[in-house]
Amino acid sequence: MKPSRTLSPYLFAAPALAVFAFAVLVPFATTGYYSLNEWNGYGDMIFVGVQNYVDAVADTVFQTSFVNVVVYILVTLVVEVLVGLLLAGLVLTVRRGSIWFRVAIFTPVMLPMVVVALLWSFVYNPDFGLLNAALTELGLQEWTRVWLGDEQTALLAICVVSGWVFAGFYMTIFYAALRQVPSEVVEAARLDGAGEWTIFWRVRVPIIRNAIEVAVLLCVTGGFQSFDLFYVMTNGGPFHATEIPTTYLVQAVFRTGEVGYGSAMAVILTIVVVAAGLILVALRATADREGRAHRRLLAKAKEAVQ
Amino acid sequence: MNRKWIAAAALALTGAMTVGLAGCAGGSSGGGDDKTLRIAMGSPGEAQIAVWESIAEEFEAANEGWKVDLNFQDDDMYQTIGLPNLLNGRNAPDIYFEWVGNRLLQRNADGFAADLTEQVESGALADVLDPELYTTTTVDDKILMVPHIADVSNVIWYNVDMLAEHDIDPPETWEDLLKACDTLSAAGVVPIASGNKDFWAAGNWLGHLVSRVVGADAYDEALSGEASFDTPEWKQAFGYIEELHEHGCVNESANAIDDNEGAQLFFQEKAAMHAIGSWLVSWAIDEAPDLTFDFVNLPAMPDEVDADSVEGVITGHVVNAKSSPEKIEKAAEFLAMLHTPENTEKFVGAEAVPVDATVSEIIDERTVRLNSLLGEAAVVISPADTGYDLEVADAFYRALAEVMAGRTSADEAVTQLAQQVE
Amino acid sequence: MSSSARTRLVRTLVLAALALMALAFFIPLVWMVLSSFKSNSAIFSTPFALPTSIDFSQWAIAWDVGNISRYALNSAIVTTVSVIAILGLSSAAAFAFSRYRFRGAGLMLGLLSLGLILPLQSYFIAQSTMFTRLELTDTYWALIIPYTAMGLPLATYLLKVYLDALPEELFEAARIDGAGDFRIYAMLALPLLKPGLATVAVFSALSCWNEFLLALLYIQDDALKTIPTGLLAFSSRYVTDYSLLFAALSIITLPMIAVYVVFNRQITEGITAGSLK
Repeated sequence: MKPSRTLSPYLFAAPALAVFAFAVLVPFATTGYYSLNEWNGYGDMIFVGVQNYVDAVADTVFQTSFVNVVVYILVTLVVEVLVGLLLAGLVLTVRRGSIWFRVAIFTPVMLPMVVVALLWSFVYNPDFGLLNAALTELGLQEWTRVWLGDEQTALLAICVVSGWVFAGFYMTIFYAALRQVPSEVVEAARLDGAGEWTIFWRVRVPIIRNAIEVAVLLCVTGGFQSFDLFYVMTNGGPFHATEIPTTYLVQAVFRTGEVGYGSAMAVILTIVVVAAGLILVALRATADREGRAHRRLLAKAKEAVQ
Repeated sequence: MNRKWIAAAALALTGAMTVGLAGCAGGSSGGGDDKTLRIAMGSPGEAQIAVWESIAEEFEAANEGWKVDLNFQDDDMYQTIGLPNLLNGRNAPDIYFEWVGNRLLQRNADGFAADLTEQVESGALADVLDPELYTTTTVDDKILMVPHIADVSNVIWYNVDMLAEHDIDPPETWEDLLKACDTLSAAGVVPIASGNKDFWAAGNWLGHLVSRVVGADAYDEALSGEASFDTPEWKQAFGYIEELHEHGCVNESANAIDDNEGAQLFFQEKAAMHAIGSWLVSWAIDEAPDLTFDFVNLPAMPDEVDADSVEGVITGHVVNAKSSPEKIEKAAEFLAMLHTPENTEKFVGAEAVPVDATVSEIIDERTVRLNSLLGEAAVVISPADTGYDLEVADAFYRALAEVMAGRTSADEAVTQLAQQVE
Repeated sequence: MSSSARTRLVRTLVLAALALMALAFFIPLVWMVLSSFKSNSAIFSTPFALPTSIDFSQWAIAWDVGNISRYALNSAIVTTVSVIAILGLSSAAAFAFSRYRFRGAGLMLGLLSLGLILPLQSYFIAQSTMFTRLELTDTYWALIIPYTAMGLPLATYLLKVYLDALPEELFEAARIDGAGDFRIYAMLALPLLKPGLATVAVFSALSCWNEFLLALLYIQDDALKTIPTGLLAFSSRYVTDYSLLFAALSIITLPMIAVYVVFNRQITEGITAGSLK
């Protein structure tokens, strides 16, 4: 369409761009600038070049935080994405009333993380909490732990909570995708004598490949950016066992007053997130290409045989 | 409209915005010259906030045209970067809350502490407080702070009934304490409750403990960066914390629960003792009215250098030296108002006992005894996190927490600490 | 066992497994609400016991003394203004990018798309110092501006997809009728975008309502806190009064769950569409 006034398109787009530039683009560039300086937020800024980056990479706590977040992502790929997939498969088999299951399982997704964190902090409370109380009632007293205070269990405890929150989300995505699987393909496989379990893994899952890849992308990139749950439940404790990059850099900037250092860590985190995203997208593209080539080969083979 | 018009308008708008923003981003002119008295502090709790607001109203009524702006920040933020940010920004506070110790010296060094000597001698603050109370707040013969509330930041509180039940006397020596721990642990009771998630609760206690062993001077020097931590004396001191761990003195969950939950263990009578400051009194009376509790100062440590030392904090208010002279005058007047007998009583009613409060029925006798403990102590040390550089204090508290949890040996912790601080 | 009996057995097992899972997901919330009716000491001593009576007194205290009403109001204000801003700004921008060819469109769209990959961490530090300098902290704007900015990329992208699907003839017809750009936008594009706008509104509202990090850093004044940070402040004030805490949590969660149950189809679609990009 041609605009009635040449300036119109700009007038439509400008407000959005202005707000976005002001609140995101300018700070993004400025953070990069801060990372090259040493600054406490109000005093003098001292240019230090890449020193902050060198320090960050050598910082053992920062390294630990990345290890922790990677562990978190790997575990949540299982307890969120895989469990979500399994749940979707289970729900698929229920003919009537599946809506109730789906609503119940999806509910935690909507809650503010603070609510989840406070609720589960109580569940995990070593002296009055539900988990230890339940274990004691069942006679399993030796299994009680200081869940959020024990360096061995704290990170996993938080992963479980994360799974509780998000499995429903992935279940919903996969359920919608599974519903799209053409019934002829499923029928054909059933006629061939395949059981439900096999059908699920050999027929349905490959067809919803796209949704699975998107889910993995979301889980990974989202995982790196976690903050809320960790901050409220343990804030990096005990002794950095649950420290993740964001909690550490928030502390550096807003508690210790090291704006430059925190900014350098933020930039490193950004690079990791963007790189992870790009890698996953690239993997998808190559897989797609291979898949297409594979399918073309199969089609040619079928033709030749007919 | 033609293009030239629009371009001109856009340019003008951008220009106006830049000028406006530049004006906003202008440098720090502390204080400002309007008639607003700005007061900043961390959050003292609902009850005290009400008292502050009533005093603000009182001041506004007595001073036509003046407004009082009370800024209550989040505690943790205020203590770390909140206050420096405020002081260096626009509309810096004219009066602000501070702790005696290194922090006060820092404010003085940065030029944010007004000399109130004149006000105290002949101005608005004359005869408001007993002159002796200013000894701790005087630096280089200048009175820099008006003290308000003094707290003993750590004693060992105990449940009278529970100790009696297990035939234990309130521990006076270290050996007494360890024996009590053994007896109580065997009986399935937590000997000493601590909620150390934020590191300061046990940090205050254990910091006091090690200071007894190495002496207040060594404690002060190490935390001020004038001496190293890596000495046999410090290792010996930390060694006692190892003993605490070996005798199972502290609840296992100490580093996972915060100070409120730690206190709750004491209130629910799951723990026989609790190491925390004097503010427990009013809280306990509220939460657990049937609890019979009392305190002992930290038990005597073997070979201690400073016997009977007390760990205390004196807090009060500093006037911003960068405020205009008129505002400094008004600030002094406000502080004088803060300390009138009526307002002092209001604070007592809000469960905060100012230094100039006299003994009366509404003040619990345990609080009175704590105040005398502090007043009569020969040696008073400051808790690390309020008396010294925050980074050093953090490292110190973390080291203490690690040894208490049995995670690091005393020797390792001390060496690590020395390295981190250098 | 006959094959139909087998299928029935499997089906029963599946239902049982699902029921168990659904319970596992729902029970903690149910327990939380039930505990808010008990007294503190009852929660400590008999956590699994049912409350003796449905006692809403703690709820009243949480709402009033605990300031939950204030926090809810602040969240409502911030969320509503942000969502309206997002809807307005993104629909206009999407309209421009979709239906017009103009110089710089590619660049602008590209910049906006950066918002789809840039994590919050890459800009919130500088954003916070900027807001402190401009004295925006402790105002509603400190949240409304970032929330709007953060919601724009996805919203614009989604609405553009919707608009791209519309045939050019529709717009040409309107143009022939003599309508100017703004009229076409307001009278033609917006109504057609209704389902898209609804989707955007749903996931934008949810992310604004639940946002925590920026609310934590920019708002210290208790009177302006939104629900996430307000709850955190509430929990540290009353940390050991669990029944009060659960009452507060229940007050916050029950309306949300109710809204979700009633509108679950739209909400689920909205949230998943938002994430699937």
